[in-house]
Amino acid sequence: MTASSEPGAFLPKAERRGLGRILADVLAKPARDPFALAGLSIYLVFVLVALFADQFATHDPLQILFQPNGRLARNLPPGETYWLGTTHSGRDIYSQLVYGARAALIVGVTAAMVVVAIGTLIGLLSGYFGGWVDAVLMRVADTALSIPFLPFVIVLTAFLKPSVWNVVLAVAILLWPNTARVIRSQVLTIRERGYVEAARVTGAGHGRILFVHVAPNILPLSFLYGSIAIGWAILTEAAVSFLGFGDPRTVSWGYMLQDAFTSQALSRGSWHWFVPPGLCIVVVVVAGFFLTRGYEEVLFPKLRD
Amino acid sequence: MAFLGRRLLHSLFVLWAVVTILFLMFRLMPGNPLAAYINETMTEDQQEAMLRQFGLDRPLWEQYLIYIGNLLSGELGLSFHQRKPVWDILMAAFPNSIVLTVTGLSLAYVFGVVVGAFLAWKRGTWIEGIGVPLVLTTRAAPEFWVGMLLLAVFSFGLGWFPAGGANSAGAFYDSELERFLSLDFLRHLTLPALTLALYLQGLPLLLMRSTMLEVMHEDFVTMARMKGLSEWRIVIRHAARNALLPVVTAFALGLGLAMGGNVVVETVFSWPGLGRLLVGAVSSSDYPLAQGAFLLISGVFVVMNLVADLAYTALDPRVSHDRVK
Amino acid sequence: MDVLAVEGLKVDYRTPRGAIHAVDGASFTVGAGQVVGLVGESGCGKTTVARAVTGVYPRNASIVGGKIRFLGQDLLALDAAAYRALRWRGFAFVPQSAMNSLDPVYRVGDQLAEVLTERGGLGAADAARRASELFELVGLSPTRLVDYPHQFSGGMRQRAAIALALALNPKLVIADEPVTALDVIIQRQVLDVIRELQRRLGLSMILVTHDISVVAYVCDRVVVMYAGQVVESGSAAAVLARPFHPYTMGLNNAFPDLQSSAGLLVPIEGAPPDLAAPPGGCRFAPRCPFVQERCRAECPPLVPLAEGQSSACWRATEAETLRAKSRDPKTWLRS
Repeated sequence: MTASSEPGAFLPKAERRGLGRILADVLAKPARDPFALAGLSIYLVFVLVALFADQFATHDPLQILFQPNGRLARNLPPGETYWLGTTHSGRDIYSQLVYGARAALIVGVTAAMVVVAIGTLIGLLSGYFGGWVDAVLMRVADTALSIPFLPFVIVLTAFLKPSVWNVVLAVAILLWPNTARVIRSQVLTIRERGYVEAARVTGAGHGRILFVHVAPNILPLSFLYGSIAIGWAILTEAAVSFLGFGDPRTVSWGYMLQDAFTSQALSRGSWHWFVPPGLCIVVVVVAGFFLTRGYEEVLFPKLRD
Repeated sequence: MAFLGRRLLHSLFVLWAVVTILFLMFRLMPGNPLAAYINETMTEDQQEAMLRQFGLDRPLWEQYLIYIGNLLSGELGLSFHQRKPVWDILMAAFPNSIVLTVTGLSLAYVFGVVVGAFLAWKRGTWIEGIGVPLVLTTRAAPEFWVGMLLLAVFSFGLGWFPAGGANSAGAFYDSELERFLSLDFLRHLTLPALTLALYLQGLPLLLMRSTMLEVMHEDFVTMARMKGLSEWRIVIRHAARNALLPVVTAFALGLGLAMGGNVVVETVFSWPGLGRLLVGAVSSSDYPLAQGAFLLISGVFVVMNLVADLAYTALDPRVSHDRVK
Repeated sequence: MDVLAVEGLKVDYRTPRGAIHAVDGASFTVGAGQVVGLVGESGCGKTTVARAVTGVYPRNASIVGGKIRFLGQDLLALDAAAYRALRWRGFAFVPQSAMNSLDPVYRVGDQLAEVLTERGGLGAADAARRASELFELVGLSPTRLVDYPHQFSGGMRQRAAIALALALNPKLVIADEPVTALDVIIQRQVLDVIRELQRRLGLSMILVTHDISVVAYVCDRVVVMYAGQVVESGSAAAVLARPFHPYTMGLNNAFPDLQSSAGLLVPIEGAPPDLAAPPGGCRFAPRCPFVQERCRAECPPLVPLAEGQSSACWRATEAETLRAKSRDPKTWLRS
């Protein structure tokens, strides 16, 4: 007897428990996995600093500072007033670092949301409807993946004004095909399950089946891919800013590194200037990797040895 | 054969899509539609010539056909700033980019495959406990920052390597080949290639490790043990050889990273390649050059994707030999 | 001397839920030129016993008791190098699924040659000659040596696996469900190959199977396992004709005869016990239609009965009556 022929197959308990158990595992994970715990702690600190950047900062990050004797406070080493010293144009490095967290958070979260939205929607449509819809969408995804990513972003900025949205757009263009593919294959398996079949038999519309029966089951997967996107977004923002195509009014870690690089911080040996922003990027992105790595095991137990 | 045909067709389709997107971007952008090829600093005659060559006074669909025709004959226009044919400028930079990419990519894949297999073999030991987070950390490091650190230490600090460029000023060589083989060039190549390799090694390494772990559980590996084959033979000839297949597929992904990484690394090390050319052209609104550089980078990308696919086919007999019933 | 003697073998699997006693005190012997069938349902420990002999088993398995003697030599006392030296030359293995057991990226002939040169010490030319010989032996055309595993049919792959096992003239061949993955007609063909080669070469074999009709077709002796223990053993003909253990009687009803397709198939209802915490008395008691009070309390020992046939059942003396009842399908119906 197939599941679809039983009336009781409509949304059986096991399916609901599947999602519930996954969520329970997601919450319990950091307690058991030291890497996930470290990742989560770093994220917490990062979000706090980003939200309360104005409290943590000692100066306005873009203000040009002067010493008591009236001279420009440029290229100062770390000290009591300027914890990490000052830049070539006389700005406080520590405060820039703190505000950089805010920029990173904004870019990371927005990009992740866009990736999840586009990737999930296309994956759902492609997997659920199949046929020519699937063929067209997946061909578009293939093509998007066949275009060199960063060069494309750079050409794009030739037309769009430098801004943080270029980065969001770029990350979305890069990552949606991967997300959509994974979601699609997940939808393909869910589509065949008894309760979806049952919903179809009882005359539920496509929209209802998609969003009520299929979508909730792939949500954890979407979130996983979204959180991976946060790290890539921060890295991409840094690269774009470093190349000089970032938003000049936003202090980001990439902007700081560009500033340091073009102001000869390397030859001057201003380690206090060009090391901290890079370290911040590494720490935040690695935290995301550790966190998602742990969750990948929760969502795909097969990966576990 | 059918596979090869389909794959070639797909590559052509992607190239066509890139070319078309670019055409539309340049023609439909706000402001003067002629700006893609003509700017005010050109002489009247030059402007006139461009107008005719690219049919900029014709309807859009005609412009499109002329544009495709020009591309097929390698005609990309004149650079606004260097006042030279874009094609010549690209061809001067192209070899440098290829040498850098190939060196970085080869280093990354050799290192990644070997270390990935090693980490899989050391599963459950402290080596793996340290190794995997370390690799994740290198993946999280922005490659331009890694380049900056290498520059600060080995160039400005220790003075072992030059700070940028591909050759010392005033150096002259009879041929490109001689230039690439010179010690001076290698000294310039070392830091950028290392930076690129460090950026790229994470993907093949982690992939190799995880597929190795999967393959080590396969029945044929168990059988190899039962046959009493040496551990070395089991790991290299059977497990690693099979684990290599997905890694080769991922080569295409690695290429995407390499092309992006190239742009940034070339900028940090002032490496005279396509990526730096692209960044410079976009910064200075040199549209013909930007367009040309992007097209060439995309072309290389598509071709290398194709090569990676064909390599996979060659490595997996299940794909290359049709089933005999 | 026996080729193989397994004495009181105990194998545990470590799991998150605690140790699973997959094999719990199994003993049997394989004489020279004998084919011993190791039979039972999946999860009864028969494959674990076979793998224990090869010394290649999953990471979480460990041998916690007993002895395995191969030609008088205690295998468990050997160091890794000496054990490895015995593999394939002393005993070879025919896997259940040759599809997954052949390396997909090498030609079948090259995989034969690998064993012949690496383990048999043959030169390339000799190895090629021997590979052709082996292929002919199992009824495959030597022209197929240059093919990849995926180009073979299931039956051909299984033949190739047999050729591979015979490559170095092993003293013992261990075949783990060698025909299970095949359809019935091909099963018969491959079993014929095994039977014919066994007779021609005088092979000593362990044949692991869940299908008692396969035992009847190929084996000289049979060892019936249930829940990690041997419940009955003896000559194949005797055990199948006059089983003393209700489990063997049940298995007899549960499989079609390979030679004649007559007869009604009656499954044994229920499932084997949880081996992390097996029942105290006879392990078959919860499923046994002839269960008595004593069966649930005490575990019956394996005792010799007739003509080298042993059984572990408290009611062995009533076997005649039970056998008659066991032929009635209603006996096996629950509730």
